[in-house]
Amino acid sequence: MARVIVVTSGKGGVGKTTTSASFSTGLALRGFKTAVIDFDVGLRNLDLIMGCERRVVYDLVNVINGEANLNQALIKDKHCENLFVLPASQTRDKDALSEEGVEKVLKELEHMGFDYIVCDSPAGIERGAVMALTFADEAIVVSNPEVSSVRDSDRILGILQSKSRRAVEGREAVKEHLLITRYAPKRVEEGEMLSYKDVHELLRVPLLGVIPESDDVLQASNQGSPAIHLKDSDVATAYQDVVARFLDEDRPLRFVNYEKPGLLKRIFGGK
Amino acid sequence: MADATLQGKLIEFKGGSLAVMTAHLRDTEAMRLADALHMMLGGMPDFFAGEAAVLDFSQLATFPDRVDWTAIVSLLRRYQVQPIAVRNLPEHLHEGARRANLAILGNEGMSAERPVAAPPPARVEAAAAAPAPEPVPALSAPTLIVERPVRSGQQVYSKGGDLILLAGMSPGSEVIADGCIHCYGPLRGRALAGARGDLTARIFSTNFGPELVSIAGVYRTFERGLPPAIAGHWAQVRLVSSDSQNTLEITPLGSD
Ligand SMILES: Nc1ncnc2c1ncn2[C@@H]1O[C@H](COP(=O)(O)OP(=O)(O)OP(=O)(O)O)[C@@H](O)[C@H]1O
Ligand SMILES: [Mg+2]
Repeated sequence: MARVIVVTSGKGGVGKTTTSASFSTGLALRGFKTAVIDFDVGLRNLDLIMGCERRVVYDLVNVINGEANLNQALIKDKHCENLFVLPASQTRDKDALSEEGVEKVLKELEHMGFDYIVCDSPAGIERGAVMALTFADEAIVVSNPEVSSVRDSDRILGILQSKSRRAVEGREAVKEHLLITRYAPKRVEEGEMLSYKDVHELLRVPLLGVIPESDDVLQASNQGSPAIHLKDSDVATAYQDVVARFLDEDRPLRFVNYEKPGLLKRIFGGK
Repeated sequence: MADATLQGKLIEFKGGSLAVMTAHLRDTEAMRLADALHMMLGGMPDFFAGEAAVLDFSQLATFPDRVDWTAIVSLLRRYQVQPIAVRNLPEHLHEGARRANLAILGNEGMSAERPVAAPPPARVEAAAAAPAPEPVPALSAPTLIVERPVRSGQQVYSKGGDLILLAGMSPGSEVIADGCIHCYGPLRGRALAGARGDLTARIFSTNFGPELVSIAGVYRTFERGLPPAIAGHWAQVRLVSSDSQNTLEITPLGSD
């Protein structure tokens, strides 16, 4: 059985696409056949983060409309054997995504033997976001450590538990995971950001991980390579931990405490 | 195929009684009613899920010369209430009501109803008639238990009974019960107990911090924060009456 995982947030720009790219890559690196689907019709950028934008010929909407089959539209990732990207269309209207159409695509992916299907949700709580979460078995709710982001995550959690198929059909609820991204322990220490404990307490959802704020993310996206591939990067390590925890491995939280720079660091500088 | 005796009989009229909700209007001014409904239900557009209602005017003190029926009907429809008839309306207003497709009912059936609490101004009291004549209050009212957090934008209503929240409620959410509300975990958002006028309803919480609490229509907001003795602590809310005035009392509860 394929597991469908939606990466969602409510608020925009919190790191959903960054997370979808690294999380799906992490699953594929662990040997699972994984597809990552961009639901952000009109604003596609998952293909940019994955570095496959120049190979996009067909997209999700083409498949739904029967203008291409899935094999034609799926783009094989350049780094991972097991990873495939299904891009969003850039121009078409948002109503092109029908519930039946999306369901058909997900069923077909399941028949093709995919283990995991990761859905990168658009921002907001409207149609596009609802479509991305409708068929989810699990949800990674991405939140930044600030009040408005937490509030929007709370709303999307409510929608998840009322509008998803699992909710509508009264089946076992969608499994929720909280992922806090763009976390800056120094700013938390200084009281400028909510702590991960605050966010966790406000949302009351099991914590899957904390991704530190880092310029590495921008660097990775400029290279068109998911951040999880970066060498010697806290962000990459944090995303690897996230994948491990998702697969039920024990990993203590890292990068959540602010360490004052030591004397040597202060004298010689450096990262 | 259909029974032979029914052939050719495409419509049949039979007498019978139908249980419908009664909405007591204590004002006919649509704007004030809109305000009252919003106060009562917040942004809860599908609260009534298309229930039919009889608009009852027996509790209206004075009647205006004319009533804007279109406005009232459209307002109620916004909340998915489907007005079908009016009752206890003086003659001079019948014509207008009829033109708004509302049936004019006789003035019977009023005595059986339980008197309700003195409401705040312009409050709309919705009392659903039970399908069978049942003693009020019922012997055991149904309790609604919610295991998951009630999230921002969500609403929960326990009709006729208590509401138990096992995982708290978030800011921007709303819970309503005709009986008591018991909240294990954070009580944020809006909590309205005794929604049909039960003065003895109470609200309990192990982590008190709501945006609004209300009991039988007597409400209080907390824009300027909560007293430290109760903020984030165990607390209960209840109505106390003195000099025929009902006021909300919020007190710390149990050991913390
Ligand atoms: N851990 C991080 N550290 C620093 N910057 C980050 C981090 N995660 C994401 N960003 C940056 O934040 C911006 C938004 O990220 P991303 O596109 O992943 O968010 P999104 O939630 O998908 O946005 P949208 O709602 O527009 O789809 C990007 O510029 C990205 O580089
Ligand atoms: Mg995105």
